[in-house]
Formats: sequence, C-alpha cells, structure tokens
Amino acid sequence: MEQRIVDFIAGLRAAGVRISIAESADAFRAVETLGVQDRDRFRIALRSTLIKEPQDVPTFEQLFPLYFGADAPPAMLNSADDLSPEEMRMLAEAIRQFTGRLREMLQRLLQGKPLSQEELDQLGQLVGLRQADHPALSRWMAQRMLRALGMPEVQEALQELWQLLNQMGMNRQTLERLQGLVQANMDALQEQVERFAGASIARNLADEGRPQAGPDLMHRPFRYLSDAEAEELRKQIRRLAALLRSRLALRHKRGKTGKLDAKATLRANQRFGGVPLDIRFKQRHLKPKLALICDVSTSMRHCAEFMLTLIYELQDQVGRARSFAFIADMEEISQAFAELPTQRAVEEVLTRLPPGYYNTDLGNSLATFSRRYMDAVDHRTTVIVLGDARNNYNNPRLDLLQEIKRRSRRIIWLNPEPPAMWGSGDSDMLSYLPLVDAAFEVGNLAQLTVAVDRLLSS
Amino acid sequence: MFQSIEHVKQALAEQQYIASDEIATVLFLAEKLGKPILAEGPAGVGKTELGKAWAAATRQELIRLQCYEGLDETKALYEWEYAKQMLYTQLLRDKLAEVLADARNLSEAADRLAQEEDVFFSERFLLPRPLLRAIRTETPSILLIDEIDRTDPEFEAFLLEVLSDFQVSVPELGTLRARHTPGVLLTSNNTRELSEALKRRCLYLFIDYPTVEAELRIVRLKVPDLAPKLARQAVELVHRLRSLELKKHPSISETLDWAKALVMLNANSLDRQTVENTLSVLLKHEADILRARRALETGRLTGDGGDEPPRPRPGMPYRPLN
Repeated sequence: MEQRIVDFIAGLRAAGVRISIAESADAFRAVETLGVQDRDRFRIALRSTLIKEPQDVPTFEQLFPLYFGADAPPAMLNSADDLSPEEMRMLAEAIRQFTGRLREMLQRLLQGKPLSQEELDQLGQLVGLRQADHPALSRWMAQRMLRALGMPEVQEALQELWQLLNQMGMNRQTLERLQGLVQANMDALQEQVERFAGASIARNLADEGRPQAGPDLMHRPFRYLSDAEAEELRKQIRRLAALLRSRLALRHKRGKTGKLDAKATLRANQRFGGVPLDIRFKQRHLKPKLALICDVSTSMRHCAEFMLTLIYELQDQVGRARSFAFIADMEEISQAFAELPTQRAVEEVLTRLPPGYYNTDLGNSLATFSRRYMDAVDHRTTVIVLGDARNNYNNPRLDLLQEIKRRSRRIIWLNPEPPAMWGSGDSDMLSYLPLVDAAFEVGNLAQLTVAVDRLLSS
Repeated sequence: MFQSIEHVKQALAEQQYIASDEIATVLFLAEKLGKPILAEGPAGVGKTELGKAWAAATRQELIRLQCYEGLDETKALYEWEYAKQMLYTQLLRDKLAEVLADARNLSEAADRLAQEEDVFFSERFLLPRPLLRAIRTETPSILLIDEIDRTDPEFEAFLLEVLSDFQVSVPELGTLRARHTPGVLLTSNNTRELSEALKRRCLYLFIDYPTVEAELRIVRLKVPDLAPKLARQAVELVHRLRSLELKKHPSISETLDWAKALVMLNANSLDRQTVENTLSVLLKHEADILRARRALETGRLTGDGGDEPPRPRPGMPYRPLN
C-alpha cells in the first residue's frame, strides 16, 4: 500500500501538481490515522494533505481511481456453479463447435476467469501501451486491447452459442441466466482491462518525470521556444509573479516617503516618554495605473502571453490595469481578465484573435485607440506598448503616440527585438523611440521580468 | 477531542452546523495531526461558521483574528503596554529612589536598576493580541484566522513561524512556547493566491456551495418555520440563480436571509411577484438583479418552460481587487 501511495504521488507530480516531501509525509500520517478501509475517507485524507490548489483537484480525481481503483480485479462468476450435469454436457458440446482462440475466450467468459498479469502485459505490448503518455488515451487504449483480445468476434460467437444451446433444447430460464452471467463477466473483463490501461499510463507519466526549467530556459529567446518549453515557462511564470509580488510589497513597506503619521509616531514613542525619536510615516501606496497595448501577431504571441500573465498575476500590486490587443485593429481585452482566471483569459484572448501574417498595422490601431479608448489614459497612467514596431510600411501615426504621451504619465515600449534590429526593414522603432520615456528589449523571460520589476517599482 | 469522524459530525450538528463527509474528515485529521486547516471557497458558504461551530462543539474558547490589509505584528501578536509601564514607573518612583539611595556613583546605580528591569519587561506589561493569546491560554483554544488573503504577503510569512512551531519570540522575554497546540482554521476568499509555504503547512479544504439536498437541510434546520414545500422551491431557485452568470452568487447566508424574509412575509408560494419583491435579499448588485429579472420573465428561474439545462458555473475566478 505504501508503495502504491508513493507511486500515486509520483504520478501527481508528473501531471504537474507540486507536492513537497513534507506534504507527502503528512499524507502518510493522515492515512495512518484514518486507515484504508473506507475508500472515501482515504481519498479525502490524501486530497486534503496533497492538493492545495482548486485547479489541481480535477487531476487528483482523475488519477485517484487509476491507482486505487481496486487491488483485486472485479469478481467474475463461474457458470458451472449452478448448472446440472446434463446442462454442463450440453454446454461443453456446444462449445466444441468453436475452435482455437474463440473457444478459449468463450470458456474464459463462462468460467469467469480474469486475465492474468502476463496476459495483460502481452496485450499492452501488442497495442503499444508503453508509448501512451496522456491520461485521456486510457479509454482508447483499453478499446484497442479488447479488440486485440478478439471481443467483436467473441460477441458474434456468443450469439451462435445461444442459438446452438437453444436448438439443443436447453431450458429457457437457464439460458437466460447464463446470458446474464456471461454479460456480467464481459463487463468485468472490460473494466479490468480499462483499469490496467489507466494504471499503466499513469505509471508511464510518473517514469517520464518532469523536465525542469533550467536557468537557460529563462534566457531562451521567445521566438525559439518549442511548444513544450513554452508550456514549461507558463508554469514558471506564476512562481515568478509570486516572487515579484513579495519583493514589491516589501519595497512599498520599507519606502520612507510620505506624510508624517502622527498617531503611529505617538504610539511608537511612548516608550521614550513621548520624545519623538522614532518618526513614523504614512504609507503612500502609489500603485501604478496601467494601460497595456499588446501586439498579438504571430511573431509576438509568446511575448504578449507572458507579459499579460505576469501583469495580471500581479493584479494586487497594480492600481488598475486595462489591456488592449491589436494586429490590424485595436480591441479591448480587459473584460476577459475580469471574468476568468489569468491563464484561461490569456488563452481565450489568443484564440479569439487568430494570428495572421503581414497585416500588422499599428498606425490604424492607434487611431482606433485614440478614438475609442482614450479615457483609459490619464496623468497617472503608465502606457506600455508591447510590440516589434514592424508596421508593414503603413503610416506609423506618430502624432497619435505624441497625443497619448501628452496625456499619460509615461510611455514604456517593450520590444522583443535586440536594439541592433530596431529601424531595419519595416521597423518604425526608431521613429517611435524619441516619443517614449523608456524602451526595453524583452527577448526572453529574464529580460521581461527585469522590465516588469522596474516598471512597478518606479 | 474527537473520537471518530461520526463524532465530529454529530458534535457539529449539535451546534447546528451540517458538515459534509469531507469537512468532518478534514477536521478530524487536523485534530489528530495537529495541523492548521486552510478553508477556501466562495464567500458565504460557512467557512467562518465552521470555526465557531468547531469551538463550540469542543467547548473551547474561540480566538478570532480578522485580517485586513496593513495588519501587522503589533495588532496580531503582542504589544508592550507603554502607558502602564510609564504609570508604574511614576508610582514606584519613591521605591526606586530607596533602592538607588545608597549607590555611591552613577554606574553602580545603573547596575542596580538593571537588576530590577525584569519587573518592567515581564508578561505583566505584555498586551497579548489574538495570536499570542491562542498560544498562552490556560485551556486549549481554537484560533480562527479569518480572510487571510487580505493581509500582505509578509504577514503571511510571519504567520509561518507561529503556525509551524506554535512559538513566538519576544526579544525582551525570550521564546514563548504554546501551552497547548490550538486548533487553527484559516479562511480565504480567494482574492489572491496564498504563498506555497503557507499552503504546505495546512490541510486544504475547499468548501463549495452545497447540493440542493444539503442546503435544504440547512434551511430546514435554521429556519424551521418555513413550509417544507416552499423551502425546497426556494433552495432550487437559489441553485438556478447560481447557475446564471452573476457578479456575485447568492451564498448560503443569503439563502437563509431570504428564507427568513419569506417567513416574515407569510408567503405561501413562490409566485413571480413574491420573488421579484424579495430578490434584493439574495442579490446585491443592480446588474445581477436585472439579469435575474430577465431570467424570471423567460421562466428559466421558476422552472416552468425551462428546458434549457443550467449552464455550468465558471470556476472560481481570482477576482481583481479593484
């Protein structure tokens, strides 16, 4: 049982749940306290000690039955138990009509013999169960295994068998009972195979382990990220946000600026007999207001995604954030973030705005922005433009950016291209550059983190 | 101390708290393992109530720490009572003069004074705040840390020491250990993500809205005057409201308020007029009320002509703070 739980924890980790050693130790203590007799309580004991995020609960519920479905295969019934010798003879004769594997299978179903571990392993090998590495594949794998077992043919053979027995004059009631019994055995067999497939896949997942995001991944340019690496970074980004958040909160706290806090000062200096030695200040939480303008064309996808995730995970450090996305035209996307968890919202926005080629038009997008969304910009707002400024030779509309700059606190430009590339080809970056207060290169996650940190701390 | 999970359920039920299997199991584990519970879930599903029921069921004192932004150690842990210290110094001046009278020089006087300073930095002048109180009480207690998600991350980090070792260090006095390990319940409304370190130390309990049957039992228990048939209708309607996309879904406490309102109004059936008049008890946003009215008109809420299955409620989003 202990090994089972260890395997289960490994499986959960493989599925992306973070579980510390202390937590797995807690799980064992909890199981020790409650025992394993009551399956439901056992499940709750494991869940409350191992799972600490609501979004991990589905993973747990999915994996749990795979590991603790049941140790013994489902019980199968032997038909010989309640047949008279005469009926047994009839049955044996009827079965003799079939040959080879088919006869074997019929006998197995009638006698209620479950598959052995070896047979299961063989079947698994036959359908390539070893290579399956996703929990969703388990049902399909089970079906393939049943087909390899010859189930469709067995079904037909069974029909023939019933007819044969009928012709041989078997009692109608006995026949019906036999049919029900074989059906139950077939269901049990199917369940056994399904469980085996599920457990094998879970084991595969656990063996595979999880690729760790090394420090080099932080420095990998966004445009060279493979899908797997992007996925890995997505997981990292929330930890990164937590890190940034506590750093920012501390900085706010320690900042010694602002007005004298008379009440706090009086209280703090009572110990000096009222002589104000220790001066306290009112915390001035100047959280920035942000307007994010993100290019979500193909070249910018990853960068925009990570930026949006980071900003919205830091929501409590930001006064108010509104975000806009553009390719050829501007669109407000704040709504999605108000309604969905950050990760889902980013996905939703990116699927809604399909990537296109050669139609990025920042000039036109800025025109829409100044027509419709200018109210998002006031003297406290920091405007962040996230884009490569590759404008397909359209009018860059510098006048509009000038207007936005006049209304805003400052404009910051984040460009994934290295400065050497700015201004080459259709890039208008050099024209925009004099109008912005600061421009950063954010070609990888490390640079993006630095940029966001600076943005929120100044 | 609870003997078994059934015992937990029964003891809570005596306090008029209907606990699901999960709640009872986690509570039992928390007592056995001596670990804090972190209860998350939508507002108004009875997280705080659980703490109160727990304390009442075990006949222990409930010590409550309500969290808010800017909460710090002096308000959560302890503070020196400077005023009292000053007062004592004033009143004891004669005695002090006596002690110091025959000192030959200044440094000897200072040494003598130093010998007496324990008098001024003793627990006598320590003003215990909830956390210290929970640790130092004579009898075991239940510590309820409410809405932990509202504090700053650094306070969370500070809580870690208290929650993992149940000890507090006061520089002038040394380390104060817990006389008893208190039962700890932290609640969070999910407005922000808590740190992993804190979560790691807790047993996690997600309390969601109850099923129709469970909620009906709660209503029957707390508002026994409401006719059974009406109670069922009301609970079903609340469940349909929860399946709508609203800014704020009606919580259990609001269901109970509504049930009480229905009793007050002597309602004997849930017709449209009654529902519309009392909707403001359930829903607290103008936009939500409008949406619910529209749903009422199309008959989706009262259940007539509602062939459309209720839409699944979207998962708990982390709502932005502003």
